[in-house]
Amino acid sequence: MEQMSDVDRSIAEAPLPTVKTLRRRKSLGYQATRFIAFNFRMMKMVTRAHH
Amino acid sequence: MARVVILGAGISGHTAALHLQRQLKSKAEIIVVSPNSNWNWIPSNIWVGVGKMTKDQVTFPLAPIYKRKHIGFRQAKAVAIHPEGSPDNPQGFVDIVYTDPTRVGEEEQLTYDYLIVATGPKLNFAATPGLGPDANSWSVCTAGHAEQSAAALETIIEALKAGERKTLVIGVGHGTCTCEGAAFEYTFNVEHELRERGVRERADVVYLSNEYDLGDLGVGGMIFAQNGFETSSKLWTESLFRERGVRAILRAHVEKVDPGVIHYEELDGSRHTLDFDFAMLLPPFRGVDMKAYASNGEDITEDLFAPNGFLRVDADYETKPFEQWAPEDWPKTYQCPRYANIFGVGIAFAPPHAISEPRKSPNGTVISPAPPRTGMPSGVIGRTVALSIADRIRRGDQATLRTASMAAMGAACIASAGTGLRKGSAAAITMYPIIPDRRRFPGSGRDLTQTSGEIGLSGHWTKLLLHYLFIYKAKARFGWFVIPE
Ligand SMILES: Cc1cc2nc3c(=O)[nH]c(=O)nc-3n(C[C@H](O)[C@H](O)[C@H](O)COP(=O)(O)OP(=O)(O)OC[C@H]3O[C@@H](n4cnc5c(N)ncnc54)[C@H](O)[C@@H]3O)c2cc1C
Repeated sequence: MEQMSDVDRSIAEAPLPTVKTLRRRKSLGYQATRFIAFNFRMMKMVTRAHH
Repeated sequence: MARVVILGAGISGHTAALHLQRQLKSKAEIIVVSPNSNWNWIPSNIWVGVGKMTKDQVTFPLAPIYKRKHIGFRQAKAVAIHPEGSPDNPQGFVDIVYTDPTRVGEEEQLTYDYLIVATGPKLNFAATPGLGPDANSWSVCTAGHAEQSAAALETIIEALKAGERKTLVIGVGHGTCTCEGAAFEYTFNVEHELRERGVRERADVVYLSNEYDLGDLGVGGMIFAQNGFETSSKLWTESLFRERGVRAILRAHVEKVDPGVIHYEELDGSRHTLDFDFAMLLPPFRGVDMKAYASNGEDITEDLFAPNGFLRVDADYETKPFEQWAPEDWPKTYQCPRYANIFGVGIAFAPPHAISEPRKSPNGTVISPAPPRTGMPSGVIGRTVALSIADRIRRGDQATLRTASMAAMGAACIASAGTGLRKGSAAAITMYPIIPDRRRFPGSGRDLTQTSGEIGLSGHWTKLLLHYLFIYKAKARFGWFVIPE
């Protein structure tokens, strides 16, 4: 068997999203609120960059 | 009437042209020089590369827009700048060679009062033997390259469907590459496509990069505040790799690409090979090959351009150790130090140094990302320089130049991880500032309240929204200027 590199090991130990998190990432209602929140944050950043 | 010549019609040059025209109307003549007849929304090339969009959906012809906006357009490439003009006329000029099919090879000298260099990167496939679509690997840097990648990917998917096993390698093709974000995006779009097509289990997907850690993305990684904890972009990205079953090879410099075999060196100096059936490896970038001459004909290319071919601007180019890198090293006005009427914007300006910590292997090979200059800063810088020039044309040379330092600017980066209005996904990242400032923000160097990352369907919606918005804006349609860069 091929030896695991440090990077492989690090990935293998990374936290996996829970079923609830995975569901939330696809939930239309929840994602609609995230869409608004992210675009608001991005607009704030953009307006700051323009001054 | 003052004449402003803009070399390059990409994100930064085209933005500068539209803003200059809007500011100055008939008070100045604006001329754009670009070897390509089309404008390309490069971020969506990723979707062309997986067959989800066509080339026509991400490009459009520039000539009709410039005609409508009374902006001059030369389909040509700039080959030399003469900032001091000629012995009998001190006005600066640029040598251009037409690529316009009706005038191919014809030369012209274009005089200017102000010059904006917005030529973006030269895709330096030649830096790695065997790299690139003319040799043994694919690319998504242009819409044409992305179409070729999509066709090659389709062949692989057909073979997978027939029951074969295949290895797909996606990443960067040299130790000094930048644009890891694009390689990351393409990896997860390909992975998504393989799943959608029901062939994922027979495919090994490998991400090959010069980053020290996953999530570095050429900006030295990020720290996000999440659920009451400070999380690193490393852990966050590793989690995605684990979830999607993508392998990663990091700290790698690709030395050579043979048909079906990548040869690479790792940061510890060890050398390896990796067999592949499909490889999309981005090339390293350098400045386009432009020369510069003084009025007596002396070659002053090295005065104007850094060794990497990018235009020197008001940055601090003194070589310093990583610990002494400071936000003030980064340019603010993008003015060329030697010639006050020349500016460099977008990828074309020479950065003072990288953002990620520089690293070399024991063999002396540089294996660390060059600094990215993504769409948002490129657009903001293009606009800022356009406004500075408009001020100077209206109020004279004493008008103060406007500033847009990447050390005082944030960026949003949406890394697509698969398409589909209901099934899509993307990693949406914001960071402020782009250049870490450890004095203002001890620790990570960035403001934790404005540096964030989240994965989900909404990121895909945002990416799609930006696709339509920026193409609308670039077409200079009604109210285009309300859409920020
Ligand atoms: C695959 C990919 C995906 C990306 N995704 C994202 C993303 O999701 N978000 C993001 O923010 N950024 C992204 N980027 C980065 C983004 O595309 C760049 O930041 C941006 O294009 C830089 O703009 P620019 O004007 O400096 O250069 P370009 O957009 O490359 O424009 C350069 C222009 O100069 C012209 N030119 C070249 N040589 C000459 C010459 N000799 N004379 C005259 N003109 C010349 C070219 O034809 C072109 O018109 C991505 C990049 C790639 C490659």
